Amino acid sequence: MNIVVAIKHIPSIADDLPVKGNNVDFDSVDFVLNEWDEHSIEQAVLIKEAVGGTVTVVGVDLIGELDNALHLALAKGADKVVKITADDPAADSHQQAKWLAEAIKGMGADMVFAGVQASNDIDGQIGPMIAAYLDMPYIGGTSAIEVSGNTATVSKEFPGGVGMKYSVTLPFVAGVQSAPKPPRYAPVSKVRQMAQTATIEKVAPTGEASAGLAFKKMAPPVATGHAEMIEGSPKEVAAKIVELLKSKGLA
Amino acid sequence: MLTTIEKILFILLALVSAGFTVHGFKTIIDTIRMGRPAPELKNIPASLLKAGVTVLFQQTIFKARKVLSAIHMGLFFGLITYAFVNLVDALEGLVPNFDLIYSGKHLSPPAWTVPLINAYNLISDVMSGFLLIAITVFLVRRFIVKDKALAYRENVLLNPKVKAGGQAKDSLIVGVFVIMHVSAHLMSQAYRLTEGADPFMPIASFLNSIFGASQTGVHVAWWISIGWVMFIIPYLSRSKHTHFFMAPINLGLAKQNPRGQLDPAIPLKVIDGRKYDPGAKVITDLAWTRIMDAYACVQCNRCQDVCPANFYGRPLSPSALEVNKRYLLKEATFGSHPDLLLAPLTETVISPEAVWSCTTCYACVRVCPVGNEPMADIVDIRRRMLIDGFEIDSGVQNALQSLATNGNWMGKGKRLRGRWAKEMEFPVKNATEEPVEVLWFVGDTASFDERVIPNTKMVARIFHQAGLDFGILYQNESNAGNDVRRVGEEGLFEQLVEQNMAAFGKAQFKQIVTTDPHSFNTLKNEYPQFGGKFEVKHYTVTLLKLFEEGKLTVKNKLSHYKVTFHDPCYLGRYNGGFTAPRKLLELLGVEFHEMPRNCENSFCCGAGGGQIWMGKVAPGERPAENRIKEALTTFERHPNEKKQLFIVTCPKDMVMYSDAVKTTGNEGKIEVRDIIQLVAEAVGVEEVSQIVG
Amino acid sequence: MSNDVFVITEHLDGKFSDVSFEMVGKAKELAKALGGQAVAVVVGGGVEANVFASDSTIQVDDAALSQFNPEAYGKVIEALVKEKAPRVVLFGWTVTGMDVAAWLSARLGVPCAAYAKDVRVEGGGVVVSCQAYGGKLTAEVAPEGETAIVACLAGSFPAEAGQGATAAEKIASPVDLSGLKMKFIEMVKPAGGDVDITAQTKLVSVGRGIGGKENIELAEELAAKLGAAVSASRPVVDAGWLPRTRQVGKSGLKVKPKLYLMLGISGAPEHLEGMKSAELIIAINTDKKAPIFNVAHYGATADLFEVAEAMLELL
Repeated sequence: MNIVVAIKHIPSIADDLPVKGNNVDFDSVDFVLNEWDEHSIEQAVLIKEAVGGTVTVVGVDLIGELDNALHLALAKGADKVVKITADDPAADSHQQAKWLAEAIKGMGADMVFAGVQASNDIDGQIGPMIAAYLDMPYIGGTSAIEVSGNTATVSKEFPGGVGMKYSVTLPFVAGVQSAPKPPRYAPVSKVRQMAQTATIEKVAPTGEASAGLAFKKMAPPVATGHAEMIEGSPKEVAAKIVELLKSKGLA
Repeated sequence: MLTTIEKILFILLALVSAGFTVHGFKTIIDTIRMGRPAPELKNIPASLLKAGVTVLFQQTIFKARKVLSAIHMGLFFGLITYAFVNLVDALEGLVPNFDLIYSGKHLSPPAWTVPLINAYNLISDVMSGFLLIAITVFLVRRFIVKDKALAYRENVLLNPKVKAGGQAKDSLIVGVFVIMHVSAHLMSQAYRLTEGADPFMPIASFLNSIFGASQTGVHVAWWISIGWVMFIIPYLSRSKHTHFFMAPINLGLAKQNPRGQLDPAIPLKVIDGRKYDPGAKVITDLAWTRIMDAYACVQCNRCQDVCPANFYGRPLSPSALEVNKRYLLKEATFGSHPDLLLAPLTETVISPEAVWSCTTCYACVRVCPVGNEPMADIVDIRRRMLIDGFEIDSGVQNALQSLATNGNWMGKGKRLRGRWAKEMEFPVKNATEEPVEVLWFVGDTASFDERVIPNTKMVARIFHQAGLDFGILYQNESNAGNDVRRVGEEGLFEQLVEQNMAAFGKAQFKQIVTTDPHSFNTLKNEYPQFGGKFEVKHYTVTLLKLFEEGKLTVKNKLSHYKVTFHDPCYLGRYNGGFTAPRKLLELLGVEFHEMPRNCENSFCCGAGGGQIWMGKVAPGERPAENRIKEALTTFERHPNEKKQLFIVTCPKDMVMYSDAVKTTGNEGKIEVRDIIQLVAEAVGVEEVSQIVG
Repeated sequence: MSNDVFVITEHLDGKFSDVSFEMVGKAKELAKALGGQAVAVVVGGGVEANVFASDSTIQVDDAALSQFNPEAYGKVIEALVKEKAPRVVLFGWTVTGMDVAAWLSARLGVPCAAYAKDVRVEGGGVVVSCQAYGGKLTAEVAPEGETAIVACLAGSFPAEAGQGATAAEKIASPVDLSGLKMKFIEMVKPAGGDVDITAQTKLVSVGRGIGGKENIELAEELAAKLGAAVSASRPVVDAGWLPRTRQVGKSGLKVKPKLYLMLGISGAPEHLEGMKSAELIIAINTDKKAPIFNVAHYGATADLFEVAEAMLELL
């Protein structure tokens, strides 16, 4: 089983995000692995452990700092890592998906996984786009993928806890919502060992695609700052809350 | 006294017994040698001598259970005496006409030895009585009263043989031996008293008055008394009573490094070019000193009594860990299961859940009379579990992932660390940009937790008001790694140390001050191993000094407060920081009352060793809740109308105990405050309500 | 091309989700501004589709489409959009949208704006406000070209404006649905048991301040009156006052209800992580400095019991 995991390096939302012009000030933010990618890597490694095969993790190196995320993937059980040396922190999902699709084309993937979404998917997620560019079917929101022969059984989550099961003929692209088990922890010593011993394959970006979105403005949402305080006795407070709820059709 | 045939029999028996004994102890020594190298021990003869003195005066057992410890002392002296008594008894058997009754008159001794002989007779007679009483008390305690302190919780992993009563069997055998042995000795003496009472042998004389004298009696009693010894000595090497021999040695070879310095995950010293994986999976992965721990332990369970995890029903008992280790070793070396040496510790000596319940509070190590370090085993087991990909608690995993990416466990970006400082009404220096006298290492909770930040700001204001030239590292500070190391993530700990060392390298300072006792501990005790040579102080010491130098003065005495103080494990028990906070409280003029568990014997809040990160929390009364109740009980003994405060000097305690006050429904009765809040009130710093930002 | 606004509606078990109506309402507004029609698109066989206030409704009625199938739905929607060339295609940033919107964008080479909180027409062009970076920033983007795909966050617009009874025009599938690589097998409903708090639109959430298990009943009563479920912060669950399934937060569940009424929760970061994206957060706490007041939309420093009891009387 040849599984390719496409990852996304994104600005960390743990910090404040400074803005420059109409976009994030990419020079003043830390880039981290998209949190859903941890699940897609875990899902891939679980399948490899169940039926054998190789896991290749590929990502676009936007700022020259992707190595750590790739070493982490290796420490978690990936067999091979590839970075597309783009050096373009503002590359949108469409452009990244195109580069990734071009890089994946020659890999003979039986399955391509991506995180179901990322916090900067303003123009959509890379998973379905890679599927479109590779002309493979796409299924997102997966909570478990099992493979038997040429067919995968995919569980997909719906709101309210309903789940749907699909059978999918390989190859296909999946947007992983969660792996059946929480992503494993990679001890730092193992990651560091990978950093010393592993090789990262470098690929030049090929192909062009664009989100076709003109950024007009980027700003923090209108201040929510502090709660509007409701003053008064408990009875008055209760009355005002009930009134508020009724006005919003919530009571 | 003995006939020739008896003598031959005795010598044969003694040889067989000696053979088994030598084999027993050789096996134990070989087993201990299978362990990994331990951190280097310096001046071993001196520390063994010191341990000998400690054992002689039974100092270490009196840390807990005073009455039982006194009885143990009687037992100890009784057994020491009996080493001589047995020697004399053996001489009585082997040397014709040798006995010491009636001032040794059958030996016609020189006059000066008569008082010594009388003294010996008196001591051995009375000691025999003591021994019988002491052993009876212990047997009654174990088998009739069934003291719960000797039992393990149902959920604690136990070796099947322990579960089936293996230890009780040991106790019974040795107890019965002591009773038989001592009684037989007394009887052998009583039967000798052909001329009536010997005033220096009151018990034997009393027995003589009942049973009279008898030559046959002497022989039978002698054989019972000494015959038993021939059996029991080899037995001891195969039972928990290896304690008798190994406890003093173990104490002499106990940890010499500071309490707050964990042993490395991989031994620094390598034997025969062996390769070691970090931490411990199987028993031989433990340092040899900690294999020896198992033989020194007699399962008194003092450690279990003080264990906060055990307290609230977690399946952890440090004592069970040691007893399981000994049984595993016994079955592997004396029994027929050498394969057990390769069995994972998490399946044989401690359950994974127990491993992850430890708060690393050090109470078990501190209280252990024989110098055992069960906590160090637990950390070593965690280390290997992490490397081997054991599925860890999701909360811990999140914390570790955040620590690896952001340098803090709260999932906050690095740049947000100094945000509180930017909100201050005066500039807080960035120590990486300008030289400062004091580098304040703020720590994660104090930097990020909204509930604690007001106190953090207050510390800054007090420092500022006192004219202390201080600065912080802003985004260059990373978590110091104390709890990361104790959770077993050695690689991440090293990474954090490197990051902080790089930050320290960029800064110019004379001294480090910490608010967090956990950071304090690792900076002080562990960073030196990574080249971090600096003076580290806890803020309570700094504050006290500022008062003593007159840079801070108490304007308002706080006599309207009735307070108690909780010693944080990593400040108190680990680093002896007991006096500064108490002196501060005295200066502030509060009414102060100690809780019963204070200083060395302080009770952990339950947050340490990564517990605060745990996503899953077991039910049961939390250690912190129990502690709040302890404080309230303390206050009840001194009733008045004053406001009751629970004073802490650790940001984590602020969080833990504020929660505990709420969950125990004691809001209004007791309030948790950081000592800085009292200082601020006393020196007259008003909290700035509208913060400049 | 046309100036029509397509709404790709979403249904499960024969029931349309709220976001479908929300989008139809929005589509009408947009269509008016663009001079086109608001067209509700229902992909699915055997679904009662005459429920929208759209200008027209197209229902692709094919048994093969009765359950969501990303491959089949994608192909059908692609064919429809190619054929009718609408100005705007609205998806919900939910099941269908997350599987099909970006795929369609890449297939057709038309722009896509996701995480949309608002869509409007400015100077004849479409402008979309997108929630980006976990809500830390809002991006205003203008899709270029003749067709724009917009994937809308649920709960962004009122649903009422989309409710109506426009008769659906049933059509056969515009594409051949045989030979699909993806086949629906079965639906797995959550095992009966406790309430799924992530699926609730209203939550009354209790913290340590509730004081004890016996007081949970008060919260239950209030929740019942509001049509809400009771959730809790970690200490409450740890204390065993409520089951683990009710825990909101980093180590519990992440919820995004329309109403999150908080009683006695001070707002530990742990908890905030699980609920901060709730649409309306009202916090009642006795501590005026409780961090929750930095996150809540409305707050009151008051005794939660008194407020809750007073609310019970008013509801």
